[in-house]
Amino acid sequence: MAEIKKQKKDQQEGPKKVSIDVGDGAAIPSKEDVGLFTAWRVAFFGAIACIVYLAVFKPDPYVEILKFLPDGIFVTFKVTVLSILFALVIGLFTGLGRISKNKLINGTASLYVEVIRGIPLLVQLFYIYYALSKFVHVPDMASAVIAMAVCYGAYMGEIFRAGIQSIPKGQAEAARSLGMTPTQSMYHVILPQAVKTILPPVGNEFVALLKDSSLVSILAVADLLRRGREYASESFNYFEAYTVIALVYLIITLFLSKLISIMEEKIRAE
Amino acid sequence: MQNDLRRKMVEMKNVSKYFGMLKALDDVSLDVYEGEKVVIIGPSGSGKSTLLRSVNKLEEINSGSIIVDGLEINDPKTNINKVREEVGMVFQQFNVFPHKTVLENLTLAQVVVRKRPKKEAEQVAMDLLAKVGITDKAHVYPTKLSGGQQQRVAIARALAMQPKLMLFDEPTSALDPEMIGEVLDVMVKLAREGMTMIVVTHEMGFAREVADRVIFMDFGRILEEGSPEHFFKAPTNERAQQFMRQIL
Repeated sequence: MAEIKKQKKDQQEGPKKVSIDVGDGAAIPSKEDVGLFTAWRVAFFGAIACIVYLAVFKPDPYVEILKFLPDGIFVTFKVTVLSILFALVIGLFTGLGRISKNKLINGTASLYVEVIRGIPLLVQLFYIYYALSKFVHVPDMASAVIAMAVCYGAYMGEIFRAGIQSIPKGQAEAARSLGMTPTQSMYHVILPQAVKTILPPVGNEFVALLKDSSLVSILAVADLLRRGREYASESFNYFEAYTVIALVYLIITLFLSKLISIMEEKIRAE
Repeated sequence: MQNDLRRKMVEMKNVSKYFGMLKALDDVSLDVYEGEKVVIIGPSGSGKSTLLRSVNKLEEINSGSIIVDGLEINDPKTNINKVREEVGMVFQQFNVFPHKTVLENLTLAQVVVRKRPKKEAEQVAMDLLAKVGITDKAHVYPTKLSGGQQQRVAIARALAMQPKLMLFDEPTSALDPEMIGEVLDVMVKLAREGMTMIVVTHEMGFAREVADRVIFMDFGRILEEGSPEHFFKAPTNERAQQFMRQIL
């Protein structure tokens, strides 16, 4: 029986579909791109050179601005790391829910994904911070982390689901045949293998989340963007402040993208 | 009949199973006794793999009953995991765990399911690796092994649970011809030790060597059963004659 089904499936699939993969992070440099003047190198070192140049030749106001920012960078990372950790937990359970045969669990997880993906993150932030304040006051930092984690948890859930489903069915069958429960099979056999598929897209989500975390500056969270805004509104140096902010974000995301691509190479090599 | 005095390891009664409109198993009844070696043959799509997979409930049946080692496996009160602990399964595609070393493949279920101390599990594993002849690969990842070696690891992994019954689902069909022998040798050894075995295979040489009974299936039904010699000489069913001509 299995043979028949497999054959049919092969026939149905026909020619391979071309998938267009548009990440929402900075372009991840591929290893084949070995030239000295790759887009990544030009952007990364260019941005660093710009900042150094401005700081050296126009210390006023650029050094002032740079001094203003480290607190903000720290807060941006704090929001990003906390959000991604909670998003991973939410994503794991959502992904498991989405492949569950239990209709209630599956339905709940699917509904969560559909609803959250249909509402802009900025609206979700407003909703938790301002709208819900009618019933309960959530502190600004907590609002930010909750909104980001709930939002990214939905996307993370899809990554977990795809990662788990990428493991051949025979693995679970072998585990179950040895007497393992579904949970033991998931924990000892499926998830450890799925991690390899899951890690690179999770890395991309991390970079995307870091950029989206600039949205929390509209709450009273003093992240990188908000610190820049504070400086600008005091000194009226809008052009200078936002130029530095943009360059700093660029350097951080390019750096992280590079780390992820290195990690991806390592996983592939194993 | 002398068979009736022996204990039944598997008792299938009037089992039917559908895949949509397709009748994969059509009112099949089959008893397998303790220590018996049953070989199931038949063309692809005949329902033989489905039959085998329904014995440890990898396929759920639509009607009928299957009693394994005294337990009705389709009874909701039966803990299927307890039944599976006693029923080893070997797959066509090996299904070794690629993220675990050979040794870990053998110890995982012993520790997690049987709750054996790690030391003891490793001892059991090493003894079994010696038995299947790959002691030197204990700390290697299975992706580095040949198909024949992987299948031997898979057999050892199932045996590590000390099952009462072993199911083999076309264990040599995915192997290069020169590796079939090494896997069959292990299976023959196992059969000689008295293991109860149900084997779906086209290897008639193996059937002749160890099988107590050969079962021919087609259209989801058991069309004929008898000794290996019976099938070599003169199967009565026309489909069985045709099939034997093709594979010999």
